[in-house]
Amino acid sequence: MNQDRPSKITDNRLRFDAFTGTEDALFPSKKIRLPAMGWNSWNAFGSGNTEELTKAMVDKIKELGLDEFGYKYVVLDDGCYRPERVNDHLESDPVKFPSGFKAMADYVHGAGLKFGMYNDIGEKLCSGAEVGIYKHEKIDCEDYIKWDIDFIKVDNCYYMWDNATFSNPENAVYSYAPNIRSICIAGKTYSAVSDAEITGTRASVKDDYVTFIGTFDGTAPDHSPVDIRSSELVFEVEADEPDIYELVVSYASGKEEGIGRWLQIAVNDEIVFDDMLPETESPETFMDSAPLKIRLNSGFNKIRLMNHRRQENTLCSYSEIRKELENFGQGRDIVFSICEWGKTQPQNWGHLVGDSWRILNDITFQVGSDGNPGTAAWEGDYTTAITSQYNKAVIMDEFAGLDKGWNDPDMLVIGMDGITETMCRSHMAMWCMMNSPLMLGMDLRRVNKGDWIYNLISNKDLIALDQDPLATQAKRIFTTYQCEDPSIEYIRDNNRVDVLAKPLDNGDIALAFFNLSTDEWKNKVSISAEKIISSIGSKMNSKAFKNASSYHVKDLFSKENIETSDKIFSIDSIEACGCKVYRITPVS
Amino acid sequence: MTREQFIVRLLEVFNEDSADAFSAGLEKSWLEYEDKLYKDDEISRKNIARIIHMYLLKEKGISDIQDISKAGELRDLYDCRVCANHVAQVYLKGIMGAKELSVKGGFLWFDLDGLDDSDAIEDYLKRAVDTVCKAGNREE
Repeated sequence: MNQDRPSKITDNRLRFDAFTGTEDALFPSKKIRLPAMGWNSWNAFGSGNTEELTKAMVDKIKELGLDEFGYKYVVLDDGCYRPERVNDHLESDPVKFPSGFKAMADYVHGAGLKFGMYNDIGEKLCSGAEVGIYKHEKIDCEDYIKWDIDFIKVDNCYYMWDNATFSNPENAVYSYAPNIRSICIAGKTYSAVSDAEITGTRASVKDDYVTFIGTFDGTAPDHSPVDIRSSELVFEVEADEPDIYELVVSYASGKEEGIGRWLQIAVNDEIVFDDMLPETESPETFMDSAPLKIRLNSGFNKIRLMNHRRQENTLCSYSEIRKELENFGQGRDIVFSICEWGKTQPQNWGHLVGDSWRILNDITFQVGSDGNPGTAAWEGDYTTAITSQYNKAVIMDEFAGLDKGWNDPDMLVIGMDGITETMCRSHMAMWCMMNSPLMLGMDLRRVNKGDWIYNLISNKDLIALDQDPLATQAKRIFTTYQCEDPSIEYIRDNNRVDVLAKPLDNGDIALAFFNLSTDEWKNKVSISAEKIISSIGSKMNSKAFKNASSYHVKDLFSKENIETSDKIFSIDSIEACGCKVYRITPVS
Repeated sequence: MTREQFIVRLLEVFNEDSADAFSAGLEKSWLEYEDKLYKDDEISRKNIARIIHMYLLKEKGISDIQDISKAGELRDLYDCRVCANHVAQVYLKGIMGAKELSVKGGFLWFDLDGLDDSDAIEDYLKRAVDTVCKAGNREE
């Protein structure tokens, strides 16, 4: 990637067409692991984290025994580096981390915990510090290994090849295809509007051409993560005999969201062109490309015009880092946390390189500082709310798994201002049901054994759902919101109750009722054993569950146990923003 | 105005000693090391917002406004996740204003990387002082 334009892709495993492939893994060494648990500095202290504060958090994790519940990773987020390189190397901020990162790692490891760090695939970190990893993959990864990291979170600010959030808008030249009016093969013209098929919903017809050929930006909560998130223009071209033909594309380029200059062409699924086209006068001034020689078979040939570089470039950048960590790490076990905020639909490709992938922009921008817990919200129009993150993650279960990795709806905001204990309980339960990484984001000095925050974050029964060995993200099997398929419909109206079911390794089922509304839910909601089986039966021991003579039902908050032979599981009401979470054991 | 000149002016308007501004600011976490490193660079609007916000928070005890949703009207609020709260706080407290892009109005942005002239910056500092005075009056 060390050049001034996106690199040529020589490994087809990095291409869009290989995202769903199961053979020939990109990183065979990638470990199967459960969602990571630990503490990250960002929500607690933002850019103001220091060596002293981090040591205090380590001490508090030990004092509270949080590591015994699984919280093992201590991760330094943005704001910890000196804002410029020294002899091309990263260094710690001399004021905040005067002893350096190796000393910090030693302190963390000395406490029996694991040490994590942060960087960014772009030229700068989100803080603006000019120490992004781009063009420094080798040297930085070698240093990270010397610093004994066990975890790395890699952000996506100031990325060179994308125009969306936190990047130069004119980078659209790389992430979108130009507007396409037609193609011409052997003197015959095929209209983009009338002779081609548009796949997906990103592209559309405008006048006599097709525009927005590329991939949705998933950073904001506007678009569903399910189904095809990009568009191609597909022509079916008949050839009388197999031969070499000339292809000319009529196009107009731009440098704004939806219109770029980078075009990919595949003939019968073989990439024959993947490069930038010359600039046109305007996005509506069309010109012909240079003729491209292509081989067609006799009969029908599929010609795809597309630009999947938004996803492929980002994957290439993350892969480069992973590759260097593996080169220098010699088998060191490092959790790789992709943090590109859902921008390039990482649910499609994150499993190739990472252990988890963020699904949206941050859960809060009002992070804390020493003495200020920061602020979070239950609901909001943007990503900065518990329900915004949940609403997207809850329909992403099919993208996650032990053999893939985990959807990451961002760090926990428990302990911040702006949210109640009830909201925090639902937040924790949601994240555990959805197999999300559990990264605490509070100043742990505010927590004491026995207080409500401690009791919540150390709720063994909830954590057991997140860390269950079967490792299956819960599926939404019912919602009171009117929709056809609750498991995949992207619902942002919070005036509803959702029911999630999660199969567990020992044959139990976790069943959670979430009231997203800020009003109490006063109606009965019932789910039958049959409904559970029809929804997640393929992922559970459905026979034992179906044939059970009774069920042992445990409330994971109150710890109350009941035995019932009823095959209907109900709640009569739920408080505003509240939840009920049960572990159901079939008794034969 | 450079970062250093701005920091000195900030302390002057609050009648504080500006002789060792960087040490004091770094110690109390209202300055970043980059402010010292790039002290001769022109100060951008997002850095003015950060320094004013953190100074008021750390040195003057001015609490954050919890609900910053109204600042969402700034189209570029989320273009810098580390700046978003700083920008929202100074905007909602009336210390720094938005810029209007559309002739017909309704398209507000903060212009994170923009540079302001000295007169504009003096106005921000005056409003920062007013914010502290008003908070003091309310407490009394």
